[in-house]
Amino acid sequence: MQMQRLLLSTYFLFSPERRTANMAASGGRTVGSFLWKCGNCCFNFNTVSSNLTRQVLSRQLCVSAVLHRKNLAAAGPEKFSEEFIKKQVEEFNIGKRHLANMMGEDPETFTQGDINRSIAYLFPSGLFDKKAKPLMKHPDEDTFTKALAVEKHQDRLRGKDLFTQDAKQISLVGSRWLLKEELEELLVETISEHDYARFIQLMERLLSLPYCSVEEDFVQRYRRQLEIQSSKQQVQPLQYDQHGVAYSTGDGRRKTATGTVLLRDSGSGSISINGTNYVHYFPVLQDREQLMFPLHFMGVLGRFDMQCSVSGGGHSSQAGALRLAISRAMLSFLSEGQVETMRQAGLLTPDPRIKERKKPGQEGARRKFTWKKR
Amino acid sequence: MAASLTGLLKPWTPRVLLVRWSRYNPYYLEPGPRKEVYHIPETELTPEQKEERELKSVRPIKAATNSVTSSVFNDPVLSKFVNMMMKDGDKIIAKGIITQTLENMKRKQVEKYHKAPEGKKAEIECNPYAIFHQALENCKPVIGLTSIQKGGKFYQVPIPLTDNRRRFLAMKWMITECRDNKHRRTLMYEKLSQELLAAFSKEGNVVKRKHELHKMAESNRAYAHYRWW
Repeated sequence: MQMQRLLLSTYFLFSPERRTANMAASGGRTVGSFLWKCGNCCFNFNTVSSNLTRQVLSRQLCVSAVLHRKNLAAAGPEKFSEEFIKKQVEEFNIGKRHLANMMGEDPETFTQGDINRSIAYLFPSGLFDKKAKPLMKHPDEDTFTKALAVEKHQDRLRGKDLFTQDAKQISLVGSRWLLKEELEELLVETISEHDYARFIQLMERLLSLPYCSVEEDFVQRYRRQLEIQSSKQQVQPLQYDQHGVAYSTGDGRRKTATGTVLLRDSGSGSISINGTNYVHYFPVLQDREQLMFPLHFMGVLGRFDMQCSVSGGGHSSQAGALRLAISRAMLSFLSEGQVETMRQAGLLTPDPRIKERKKPGQEGARRKFTWKKR
Repeated sequence: MAASLTGLLKPWTPRVLLVRWSRYNPYYLEPGPRKEVYHIPETELTPEQKEERELKSVRPIKAATNSVTSSVFNDPVLSKFVNMMMKDGDKIIAKGIITQTLENMKRKQVEKYHKAPEGKKAEIECNPYAIFHQALENCKPVIGLTSIQKGGKFYQVPIPLTDNRRRFLAMKWMITECRDNKHRRTLMYEKLSQELLAAFSKEGNVVKRKHELHKMAESNRAYAHYRWW
């Protein structure tokens, strides 16, 4: 590129007479003569001149008749090259002139509106879809108009500083779509299941488009807020015994074990289970850790005094039952936010896992009888 | 509305009993027992965390399992290792072996620390949990082999492994190594601590096994295109 610019600058330095004389000569020879004259050029003129001479030569060579007979089928489907588009434009122009002659109008002043009217007159179509009707348009217009229009619109918005890619999204987290019954209530008519499914599909598609936040009100009309789960927890009020010490009870179950806990706000941190110390009752570390879990999570390890009673199940399920009982008893001492964190830590859900039943035809819940080939 | 949503909150049996199902409705979310997450104030949360919190406030949450606590000593990787080592549901023995292993590793490292010259003291790692994690990392294979049938013959084809699979293989190799290749009189915790310390310094049979797997995968590179996923 720089060499070409250098070439051009040297070209224009020369006097106009020389320029015109040189322009008359052919391209390749001009370049060569120049460079002999300026001489300071550092680039290799050989390659440039040889390219140009090669082009000149290829134009002057006669092409043999064999090359004209091309195998059209082997070339594949017609590709959108420059020549193809030029051919289509020529054909369009010729066709326009023919159409003008047919309609008895002047081919020079035949506009696109005239073409449309003539086509509609000559090929009356009973089809409803406008795109299915016969049309005749200039090849260049039809492909790019829509894309160009969109780009123009975006440029206009950019000029006014309104075009921002980071549009805000509608927050969908705490809500759900209307159920079928609710939608029927809203529209005061019955809907089939297919219609409801289609409705949900269209709303989801609306949400997937950019700038959907413009229609936030419309979308929110068809959504209902989900209830906040922590509001469903039943928190017993605190009770006070004769010395003024606050206490509360809780009970929990896990598998077949049931446990009850009396939590007293005395500040010693002693735990007794069925009359014995918890260290003796639960020799396994894991079970003691489970007892401590709710207290350690809320950071109140040494504050409460616990009297527990538990029966049924094995050591692990008894520990789990007591953990649930302790968490429930602690709820009366905690604030709303702390109740929510306890729930999110998984301390307040009763564990629904039980022993899976044995099925007929099998030895156990999963184990099958020994497979005998015969 | 109420009818269809309360059905989601009860203990549940799916209508079609798959092999892997749980008593929780798929509507339930996993619990997060770590304390620190809940002490971050509102202002410092990223938008994803805020969304997650909002979602958690509306959805029911599963109960935390028996082996999970909010204590600092609770390690999910170590719990998985204990469960893998467990035989016939006897977690007490498995947990005991692991505790003895960790104690043994600590003792050996502290002995080495006291015997080492001043310059080398800082390099010796004494935290048994750190040694365990690093040893497991050193044993994890990067690429695995699987048997694919093509044209009547079975070929060993190299495939990428997920994180869970790699961790599982490392732990499995460690346990089988310690169970099989030891003298009759050495105890499990002794052998396991030796193997973990060797893996920490990238020696030992488990790391050798990992390298062999890598070599096999490298030699079978030609069959890699048999994988279609």
